[in-house]
Amino acid sequence: MKNIDAALHTRGESQYVSDLPKPAGLLYAAVFASPVAHGEIVNIDLKKARQHSGVIAIFTARDIPGENQIGPLIPDEPLLADSMVHYIGQPVAIVVAVSPEAARKAVKSIQMEVKELEVIVDPRAAFQKGEIIGSPRTFELGDVDSTWDVCDVIVEGKCEVGGQEHVYLETQAVRAIPTEAGTMTLYSSTQSPHAVQRTVAKILGIPSHRITVDVKRLGGGFGGKEDQATPWACLAALAAWHLQKPVELVLNRHEDILMTGKRHPYSSDFKIGLKKDGTILAYEVRHYQNAGASADLSPAILERTLFHSTNAYFIPNARIFAVSCRTNLPPFTAFRGFGGPQGMFVMECAIAKAAEVLNIPREEIQRKNLLKEGDEFPYGQKAEAARAEVTWDKAVKTYDLSAIKQRIDKFNQTHFEVKKGYALMPICFGISFTATHLNQGSALVHVYTDGSVSITTGGVEMGQGFSTKVVELAVKTLGISPERIRVESTNTTRIANMSPSAASATTDLCGGATIRAIEQILSRLKRFTAEQLSLEKPDEITIQNEQVLYQGKPTGWDWKELIQRAYMARVSLSAHDFWAPPGIYFDRTTEKGHPFNYHVYGTAIIEVTLDCLRGIYQIDSVHLVHDLGRPVNKLVDIGQIEGGLAQGLGWMTVEDLQFDEKGRLLSNALASYKLPEVYFTPEKIDITLLEKADNPRGPYGSKAVGEPPLMYGIGVYFALRYAMRAFAPDKDFPFQAPLTPERVLINLYGDTKSSSISVKPQSEEKEVQPVSGK
Amino acid sequence: MSEKKNNKVKGITRRDFLKGLGSGAIGSAILTGGGLIPAESKAELLGPGAEKIHGTQKIELLINGKKERLTVEPRTTLLTAIRDKLHLTGTKEVCDRGQCGACTVLIDEKPMLACMMLAVDVRGKAITTVEGLSGSGKLTPVQEAFVEKDALMCGFCTPGFVMAATALLKKNPDPSLEEIKQGLAGNLCRCGTYPKVFEAVKAAAAKMRKGVAHE
Repeated sequence: MKNIDAALHTRGESQYVSDLPKPAGLLYAAVFASPVAHGEIVNIDLKKARQHSGVIAIFTARDIPGENQIGPLIPDEPLLADSMVHYIGQPVAIVVAVSPEAARKAVKSIQMEVKELEVIVDPRAAFQKGEIIGSPRTFELGDVDSTWDVCDVIVEGKCEVGGQEHVYLETQAVRAIPTEAGTMTLYSSTQSPHAVQRTVAKILGIPSHRITVDVKRLGGGFGGKEDQATPWACLAALAAWHLQKPVELVLNRHEDILMTGKRHPYSSDFKIGLKKDGTILAYEVRHYQNAGASADLSPAILERTLFHSTNAYFIPNARIFAVSCRTNLPPFTAFRGFGGPQGMFVMECAIAKAAEVLNIPREEIQRKNLLKEGDEFPYGQKAEAARAEVTWDKAVKTYDLSAIKQRIDKFNQTHFEVKKGYALMPICFGISFTATHLNQGSALVHVYTDGSVSITTGGVEMGQGFSTKVVELAVKTLGISPERIRVESTNTTRIANMSPSAASATTDLCGGATIRAIEQILSRLKRFTAEQLSLEKPDEITIQNEQVLYQGKPTGWDWKELIQRAYMARVSLSAHDFWAPPGIYFDRTTEKGHPFNYHVYGTAIIEVTLDCLRGIYQIDSVHLVHDLGRPVNKLVDIGQIEGGLAQGLGWMTVEDLQFDEKGRLLSNALASYKLPEVYFTPEKIDITLLEKADNPRGPYGSKAVGEPPLMYGIGVYFALRYAMRAFAPDKDFPFQAPLTPERVLINLYGDTKSSSISVKPQSEEKEVQPVSGK
Repeated sequence: MSEKKNNKVKGITRRDFLKGLGSGAIGSAILTGGGLIPAESKAELLGPGAEKIHGTQKIELLINGKKERLTVEPRTTLLTAIRDKLHLTGTKEVCDRGQCGACTVLIDEKPMLACMMLAVDVRGKAITTVEGLSGSGKLTPVQEAFVEKDALMCGFCTPGFVMAATALLKKNPDPSLEEIKQGLAGNLCRCGTYPKVFEAVKAAAAKMRKGVAHE
């Protein structure tokens, strides 16, 4: 089935928040944000701003009738700064005017006096000063300390990995419309309608049932609207509440990049111990997460870093330490992968370094240590239906790794300025919210008397094709034509307490609930049919191609007739249902449990060509074998794989998020923050889906798809490293991502002695030799 | 900027201002004037036939084959005019700085960025937005190919890509992959649909060539 929104999208008829018809008297809001990264507010002068033509009102923290608090996990984040500011871009006041231009003009004349305080931008510096969020956490398996002695080689190192700006093409957007008796409807571009509802109610000091949040679709989310759509909705609601007029707040691109959180940068130390043959015996890692100024979702993201720090490998002795560090940057937030990619990157760096020291191909260590059935993860869960080895072996065979290696080595022998490189990248990603309680989904299904069907779920369509998959699941369950089925907007009045559309889990949870709701209605319809037609076994009634069959033979009724008769006989044609996958738990005191419903596996082979004079490179090919279970919709899922891959490749290469020491974002526009574009796309992408890969824990045997493919992108870093080493074999490159062309040149020609990488093969200090260009 | 100086600059259209910058003599006049244009240079700068626009103005635009009357300020971009004044919301605002291609429209069949043009500058030109490509409920071959190849996800960049692809195929009915990339180089998609967009444009080209051959 094609994406159900496809034709609308191509005609430009799909409506996003700012496309909705404008209600009469609509006002526009703009946000005044802190220009300094840390300080005490001495005075805010609104006088000049108030005099601007078109300005209706200006609101500050003082105008919040309820609680000035939006922190989703820890109450450490005011909606509007009151006495202190903690990052550049922190909202301080909101201006409401007759046009967005008037509101923005007035924002510029707000003057704030701030007593500036020390600015911290580095997570390790924050840690040193005790500026941490929550408690540090450690996952442990086996006995690391006593294992170092039996290792043939021990390698240590440091990794730096950058953040990533979401650049969802639709910026943060909301429209708040006050309705009668102190109620309000919000049209919000959020992945988490319930979070918006709950938080707006808290800000206004009213019960949740007075707030309705409605979401038709998002112009991209990628995690950036999981929690961080909420403040903008709250601000618009605050203004609408006081003025009793509809208020729209749409950030422009510059404001959005400046004021919203991004993927977390991490700084990590690793130590890995192996046998000579490449078997990993012990691994220890310390992750310092740069959380930004408030907790946001950082503790949950840190948790997924802990879960995925050993990627697709079994390491019998592992100690994983992670701490969330508070800095004066915008609160970093969810981004596809949710902390997992950072953990995996460090693991791959450790393997790369070990391979270089042992002088064996990196993939030898990778293959030798892949998870096998029953292997234990550091969090206590055992690998079930482990597909790390099968996807790896299939990739190596299908895409002929030895031919790739030969081709590349031959090329490198005959080319001096241009070098090729390759890398394998296996992935293992756990599916479930790691906060167990969020693993619940709901659906509400109505069948109307004309036989048309309306489905509302707790899931949000943000381009991931969720609505299309819901239709597909409904068609499979109901046996009627897809044209009869409509997926409605996500709405807090129709579905209560929905979890965010995140963690790749929306189809599993809300799709699962949809199947169950439809089954409820079907079972009533079957009982009714059996009674009416005097059929003995209602279970043997089925609907296929809109025909009602009994034991496979036509009953003479079709779907439409069945529905009309059922309605006349007063059979309920609506159902609400719920799905919470069983067997998921995690104990944070022991850091052990069974947090994931299942895992997604796959392996990618990435090839690159690097111009070692200019630092520029081309991604020649990405070949991958991926485990989708039995896909609900192959077309949608392959789009997700390609899209996730593009974001992962971008994160590791061209997407360079930069802040200066004052906490100012330097890469603050699409001109200074590079995104994957048409020329960045790999010349060749081949995707092979693992066959006969049933998954009894997903709807109709399928597996979640959203996040895992992003992590294939990590492989490009190591493919480029291979090419760099082919050019300068004696040089020791630091592990720092993204590997922009500039950084490639610094690596190739700079003095890497200044890097803090330390390599310690046992009892032997390796000299790092600067190599000049050839 | 003082009120007086402000008034001096007001009567010049943006395009003429930019045009003026291009000529050596006036360029130097502007520079010596401390970045502003001296009043006496104004007449010279504007030249014959130039038009002064103050405050708001009623203009007529030819959009999707229809004459549309609207009131704009000199600074109103074509994008604002299309979206906010005419409520044609298929053209998207993403960066408002000419960096993403989401607001691509056709002006006299050429793909242009609506966020980088002033509404007053496109009077008398044939403007096509995504709404003007096909009749209600119908799809052009380009749109059909985007649907068939699933060359879209969240849909926010899609109208811009469809417009750019339409313009490309008008100019070059049989583009190579390299030419397709060139034609779409100004458009960004964050969902990462590029490989499928390339396929869609190829498929649309084939379909359109076949259509022409049949006629």
